[in-house]
Amino acid sequence: MIVKDAVCPFCGCLCDDIEVEVEEGRVVAVTNACELGTTKFMGEKRMKNPILRDGDRWKDITYDEAVRYAADMLLEAERPLMYGWSGTHGEAQCVGVHMAELIRGVIDNTSSVCHGPSILAIQEVGHPGCTLGVVKNRADLVIYWGSNPIDAHPRHLSRYTRYAEGFFLENAFRDRKVIVVDVRKTETANIADEFVQIKPGGDYAVLSALRAIVQGKTDTIPRTVAGVTREQLVRVANLCLNAKFGAVYFGLGLTMTRGKYKNIRNAIELVSELSRHTKFTISAMRGHYNVYGSNEVNTWMTGYPFGIDFSRGIAFYNPGETTAVDILARKECDAALIVGSDPAAHFPRKCLEHLAEIPVVQLDPYPNATTAFCNVQIPVAVTGIDAEGTAYRMDGVPIRTRKVISSDYPSDEEILARMYALMQEARER
Amino acid sequence: MKVMLAMKPAAKWFIPIEAESIVPKNFLSGTDLLVWRGNRELRLDEVFSVSVEGDADRSEEVEVVLSGDTFRLKRVGEYMDGGTITVLGGIGMHCGNFMSGGTIEIHGNADGWLGREMAGGAIVCRGDAADYCASGYRGGRKGMTGGTVEVFGRAGDFLAESLAGGTVIVHGDAGDMPGAEMRGGTLVVNGNCSRPAANMKGGSCYVYGTAQRMIPTFRKIGTVQHEGRALIRFSGDLANRGKGNLFVKGYEYLD
Repeated sequence: MIVKDAVCPFCGCLCDDIEVEVEEGRVVAVTNACELGTTKFMGEKRMKNPILRDGDRWKDITYDEAVRYAADMLLEAERPLMYGWSGTHGEAQCVGVHMAELIRGVIDNTSSVCHGPSILAIQEVGHPGCTLGVVKNRADLVIYWGSNPIDAHPRHLSRYTRYAEGFFLENAFRDRKVIVVDVRKTETANIADEFVQIKPGGDYAVLSALRAIVQGKTDTIPRTVAGVTREQLVRVANLCLNAKFGAVYFGLGLTMTRGKYKNIRNAIELVSELSRHTKFTISAMRGHYNVYGSNEVNTWMTGYPFGIDFSRGIAFYNPGETTAVDILARKECDAALIVGSDPAAHFPRKCLEHLAEIPVVQLDPYPNATTAFCNVQIPVAVTGIDAEGTAYRMDGVPIRTRKVISSDYPSDEEILARMYALMQEARER
Repeated sequence: MKVMLAMKPAAKWFIPIEAESIVPKNFLSGTDLLVWRGNRELRLDEVFSVSVEGDADRSEEVEVVLSGDTFRLKRVGEYMDGGTITVLGGIGMHCGNFMSGGTIEIHGNADGWLGREMAGGAIVCRGDAADYCASGYRGGRKGMTGGTVEVFGRAGDFLAESLAGGTVIVHGDAGDMPGAEMRGGTLVVNGNCSRPAANMKGGSCYVYGTAQRMIPTFRKIGTVQHEGRALIRFSGDLANRGKGNLFVKGYEYLD
């Protein structure tokens, strides 16, 4: 059986033109997806049933026992942390927020280690963005800043920019210019019309310089700024000013380097400056397929996109204080629930030291690095493969992922709803 | 009146305590106050050994002295409008948030957001201050609007972010981006710092050491004499159409 128009649950591109061939309940072939997406669709070796740590061994337990363990753990905690959420669907995220409010915990998603700074910047100066379709059909200049789509979002170039047709562009491949700004010559830099190589940590200075040049204040700019010559800066500024429609896409090379959200703020302010002369937009290259959704769900339910502390019964938000890395590094929580992410593979060692000391429950289909820190792991269905649900693409467009195979695994939403029901029962008593 | 609060050792010592009830004014009506440890509400005397000497009619006559392991105690002195708080050790995040009067003296180090959005009064920190000292809140346009913050040690990153009024003095070095987005007030860093006054709109920033990785969009005006020092005066941030003043002893670009 071939499932057409399946949605790829890997990266923020959320490609919705995938063809999946299924035989006897298994995915045997994938067409249209990139290598990353194909690997996810073809994934095997899932965990069979929930497991409980028993000394230095694992014990198989039932879903009921696992759900009960998690509910009790979270109810007892004085400052539980519920982290992850970007690798699951919006419906499950909703239950998570309800749960965080009921047990008065901290709920944070993976944005706090990826595009959280972008959101902080947007909260300061707004977001002049647009959907991917607008860029595909209109943009005659695309800037990738601190992002390397060939490796991280492989189909971004072919579906929306470099290799895409554009409705308002006569010959998109020839008419569309691509600028890549990075600290090293990446694969994407090789296909750019202009490559700007910045010294590490110099993005802010280069963005400031470009803003001043666009305002005609070139004379105050030093001869080189963070390794970039003034001549190149002027050339880039002119390319931007001469574009009919420019689009900036930035990645973690900008959000997670020196200055963090101030880099993004500066980039947004450059885009605002350019929009006084021509049309310019800016958007984040979101990583997890539904990290944008976790920000959406959290925002419409709590008013804040990530790092929400319900300890006092009301939502308090302060990235740097109420975000997972900070809480773990400062040992400020006493239990953790991990859903749809793998912090042990990405967090600093100091955080993991605390994760090893407190009870941890993880919802994840596969054994991963975080498994080693778990007291209980509950295998669940994979959204977009054997569970369906809503995800948000990197440009904020909600797309309903489809189920391509059936399995006996419960979805994240089902497991969380069962935990939540137990908690409600306990709190009513 | 002198209120002595000595922190008791706790089993779950790592969970922070939020104690915005610790402001001098509240002690005028007794010590029957509440604090929070994570999601649990506790009586003040469950967390501290409390002792009171003398009495007072006005908050100006109240001195609160905190001792013990207070580095995880958050929001002490929030909305304080008079009186004195003395911290013998270090203090946790958000000490002196929104304060409008009185004095807070910290003998140890202060954690993040010391004197956030402060409007008046004085904070003296004898040790180091962490990130976001005398700053604003996420997404806010104005940080500190009045009062004085003086740090005798070093300050972390984003010192006096969005400073709009008042005076901030750091005797040691400051981290990255002190005075980012500042629009008013005065910031003085006696030591070195990196990228001062980024995107500034107004106000004055003095760096008596070296400004490392200087932002390239400041226009050099010339040399001026300031309190016996020869400083180089810049105007900016041009990228932001700013008209602020940046004075530095020395500077280097990331060129």
